[in-house]
Amino acid sequence: MSWLAETFSGGFAQRALLEAVMVGGLCGVVGVHVLLRRLPFFTMALGHATFPGVVLAALLGVNLLLGAGLFGVLVVVLVAALGARERVDDASAVGVVLAGAFALGVLLLSAQAGFAKDLTAYLVGSIVTVQPGDLATTAAVGAAVLAVLAVLHKELVLGAFDRPGLAALGYPVLALDVALLLLVEVTLVASIPAVGTILAVALLVAPAATARLWTDRLGATLALSPVLGAASGVVGLAVSQHWRVAAGATIVLVATAFFAVSLVVAPRHGLAGQLRARRRTAVPRPAPGRAT
Amino acid sequence: MTELLVDPFRIPYMQRALLEVVLLGVLAGAVGVFVVLRRLAFVADALTHTVFPGIVIAFLLDQSILLGALAFGLLTAVLLAGIGANRRVGDDAALAILLTSFFSLGVVLVSRTRTFASDLTVFLFGRVLTVDRADLVQTLVLAVLVLAVLAALRKELVLRAFDPAGATAMGYRTVALDLVLNVLIALVVVAAVKAVGTVLVIALMVVPAAAARLLADRVTSMAALSCLLGAAGGWLGLAVSYEVSVDRGVRLAPGATIVVVLVALFLIAASVAPVRRLARGRTPSSAGAPRGVGGQEVRR
Repeated sequence: MSWLAETFSGGFAQRALLEAVMVGGLCGVVGVHVLLRRLPFFTMALGHATFPGVVLAALLGVNLLLGAGLFGVLVVVLVAALGARERVDDASAVGVVLAGAFALGVLLLSAQAGFAKDLTAYLVGSIVTVQPGDLATTAAVGAAVLAVLAVLHKELVLGAFDRPGLAALGYPVLALDVALLLLVEVTLVASIPAVGTILAVALLVAPAATARLWTDRLGATLALSPVLGAASGVVGLAVSQHWRVAAGATIVLVATAFFAVSLVVAPRHGLAGQLRARRRTAVPRPAPGRAT
Repeated sequence: MTELLVDPFRIPYMQRALLEVVLLGVLAGAVGVFVVLRRLAFVADALTHTVFPGIVIAFLLDQSILLGALAFGLLTAVLLAGIGANRRVGDDAALAILLTSFFSLGVVLVSRTRTFASDLTVFLFGRVLTVDRADLVQTLVLAVLVLAVLAALRKELVLRAFDPAGATAMGYRTVALDLVLNVLIALVVVAAVKAVGTVLVIALMVVPAAAARLLADRVTSMAALSCLLGAAGGWLGLAVSYEVSVDRGVRLAPGATIVVVLVALFLIAASVAPVRRLARGRTPSSAGAPRGVGGQEVRR
């Protein structure tokens, strides 16, 4: 354990640690809702699509996160509008918006100098250079997102499991949908300095998916997921500092390792549990043959 | 018009780039038909990212990049079927986790090299202007292979897309068909990734096919239109990028320009489609089940 303490002795390392814990925890909570609503692809697209916003903000000299956030809102609207077309299914709408927006960002950027380096930091993050200002932003955004989630908890959960029921009770279903998408978007943008856009999706999905393998109860999932997220952040950061590899990507690999192990050993939904359950209920089943 | 569309391609490296982009446009356009019909845009997106560690490992070991990408593409196709079978996890979560973890593995490996930033950029956007004869031959071979399989399995794949229950009842192995389609998508990614980068591959596979779906009523005409749009977008994008970069002095990345042109074609198709349908005397019906937000239907 001593090398762990040593790793986090410097000022920049402590800031990185704090950021990793905050981002991991926040993404863990929001991720539960992302999975309940089946939004991983949308989140992925949002990650790519905020890119031109970042480039534009850099060109205009305003806050990068503000640019990403505003552009993300535009993308939410575009996907909703395209997906409403009769012949464009949602997956294709997301795909078109993803590719188009990202290419637009690259186009804007390629006209500038210093192309490769900025882009890399944006895509895979650079947590060891996190500034006190970034920490404050993450803390403020995290507190706000968690507060909204707590207030709307009942409505959002009902909406995930029973949309017609929510509508029948008189709640504004569409407004709640948009509110959730915006919460996901804000969380994603707040995670960009730490792990970058592509890998932020991993922190939004992997801890929540891992937690769902261990428990069937939503409350327990909501408690376990942020713990897993924060733990991925701390362990990943330590490993990356020790072996000097990219920090954001290592955090993601640790989160995935948690998932892979759980996939095998989790008591009920893991591989072991499913084999045991199958043996216990070993009744002769009809062969799953094809109909003739 | 010939100034824009023909003149830049008198230069040999521009000719090779054009040939590569048109080949890939046709190939991706054909496979894209099934990507769009089966709503597999996310699978395609995932495959473009998961071949990354294969490319890095092949590069570090001094092996063929094609081989490395192929190995990881096939690995993804298999793992996807395996994890997706766990009902508690679900397809989309399995995809997101595979995508990000494989990509991270590639980033970790590449971060050990000194040319980190530029390597990553090449992977994402390719270097279409440095395509050589060997690359062209590889693309051509893969294109012939993929198109031959598509032509042979056309009937089965279309049936699987529109009536999965019927396909199962008629005795087709839907799991095997799905695996074949995943492998075909992986092959397109492998063929394209070195030349044009991952972001362009996903655009070539989804955007022309989605535009064709707006305009065509039959699978055959949709496929033809999709190939045509893919190739035309590639040509036009290259020409515009060359024109603006060389004559106007504003550098525009060729890969990204192609994507923007393709999306512009899609938007034109989206605005023309309702007019065309009205002209034929059909009312734009509000058919279709209510959809959820985002990429997937909201089930449960």
